[in-house]
Amino acid sequence: MSKSKNIDQTSNELIFGSDNPNAIEVKDLRKTYTGKKVIEEVKAVDGISFSIKKGEVFGLLGPNGAGKTTVINIFCGLINPTEGDAFVGGYDVKKDLSKIKEIIGLCPQQAAVYQFLNAKENIELFGNLYLVKREVIKERMERFLDLLGLSEASNRKAKKYSGGMLRQLNLIIALIGDPPIMFLDEPTVGLDPRNRRKTWKFINSLKETNKTVVLTTHYIEEAEALCDRVAIIDYGKLVAIGAPRDLIEKHDSKNLEDVFMKITGRRILEGI
Amino acid sequence: MKSQRILALVKIQYKSLIRVPTTFFIMLLLPIALTLIFGFAFGSVIIEDTGKSVFEFLVPGLFALSGLFMIIPVASSFSEDREQGLLKRINTTPTTAAEFMGSHLLSNMSMVILQVAIIGLLCFLMGYRPDGAAAGMILAFVFMVIYSLSSIGLGLITATIAKTAKAAGGIAWIFILPQQMFASGLYPLPDSTIVIKMFMPLHYASDALTLLFDGIALSDLRIWGDLIILIIFSVVIVMGGILLFKKYGKA
Repeated sequence: MSKSKNIDQTSNELIFGSDNPNAIEVKDLRKTYTGKKVIEEVKAVDGISFSIKKGEVFGLLGPNGAGKTTVINIFCGLINPTEGDAFVGGYDVKKDLSKIKEIIGLCPQQAAVYQFLNAKENIELFGNLYLVKREVIKERMERFLDLLGLSEASNRKAKKYSGGMLRQLNLIIALIGDPPIMFLDEPTVGLDPRNRRKTWKFINSLKETNKTVVLTTHYIEEAEALCDRVAIIDYGKLVAIGAPRDLIEKHDSKNLEDVFMKITGRRILEGI
Repeated sequence: MKSQRILALVKIQYKSLIRVPTTFFIMLLLPIALTLIFGFAFGSVIIEDTGKSVFEFLVPGLFALSGLFMIIPVASSFSEDREQGLLKRINTTPTTAAEFMGSHLLSNMSMVILQVAIIGLLCFLMGYRPDGAAAGMILAFVFMVIYSLSSIGLGLITATIAKTAKAAGGIAWIFILPQQMFASGLYPLPDSTIVIKMFMPLHYASDALTLLFDGIALSDLRIWGDLIILIIFSVVIVMGGILLFKKYGKA
């Protein structure tokens, strides 16, 4: 028992030790849905491999149902992979979930907040779940609320928030534990252009703190503006990976949106 | 188990008691309203054989009933947290399942103590004086707290079955109505129904409270028999509820 623990610890150190430049590593990851409710076997993730460097803002792009959220859910331990390996912060998602939960923050697609609490109470709750000290919660909370322009409404109950305000609160909650690795699942969907820009600025500020950010988005210009590298997933397969500029050059395109359409356009051509 | 996490989650449950209308109504207003209605309606109606009022006869059932109704807010809160993605979100934090469930058990059990204290005070103000001694009253509290575990368990089972919080409120009555009818002691029922109530945890709480409020000696084995069976029922139901919810109810 203790021997296997030592082996795990050693492998963690090898993967996420100070020498390892990667925050996340994925090897031949697969997730297949089968069962009574699923008529046909669905390959949500189909043998993808990639790595994400520490301090990198990494975009996961793809059409609806491409498998982006499934990948994030595997990283966060919400679903188990069918095959393959995924390491977050050097920890195996299949074995070291409790360790992973201490170093990640998730901003889910759906604004998951307590509606009967105000913004401050919601943030404070999640700060406590990450065992952050009270004074630190207060300091971070005020800074984040101010950065996203939610300070004035912070004593209002969340049920009275607009969709955009809920999204911003959703983002702050993900950050309150100051995790080194962040998963932002479509954080700007439904935001007006002004609030989207504000959120971009906020995400950009995370780069300065050397956080690793994994971002899924439908807005290609958002990925182009924020991400150091992007991966395009289609039908659960990794179809392109690289820095936005490199992908644009490689595919002889005007912008990342063109690249995206060239790569995933078969869906439109096939009328799916 | 980290106390900072448990206390933070318990605090949220208490805030929901005040701020969520369904919880406030079922956990506080309904027991108060029932006590007042029964008190005013039956406080002066005397049962000839015993010399006691009908209200005095109903008091143990009122206490037990308040714990029974807890199934609704427990089921609704778990279903709503699931609908809003909060269960998944909390599941991605370092909070363990034991801390999460422990906080729910702690907050709901402590709310029952509050409920019992309020009903007890109201009954006292309306002239009800139990025959039991202080030790018996403390034991009655213990019965209610243990009984609340079974309601929490049934609330979790309801949340597992229900797809939405609204549906949970309706489905909860599958567990409430039979217990209310057969085991609360509020309704006169033929002897042929005794077998049915033996399978309901409420019967053991209601029976023990009646005995304790009637001033029976604590050495009476019936009380301890009720306690043992109630503990078995409550532990089995709450464990079953936690396991079912964990396996089928989280997503």
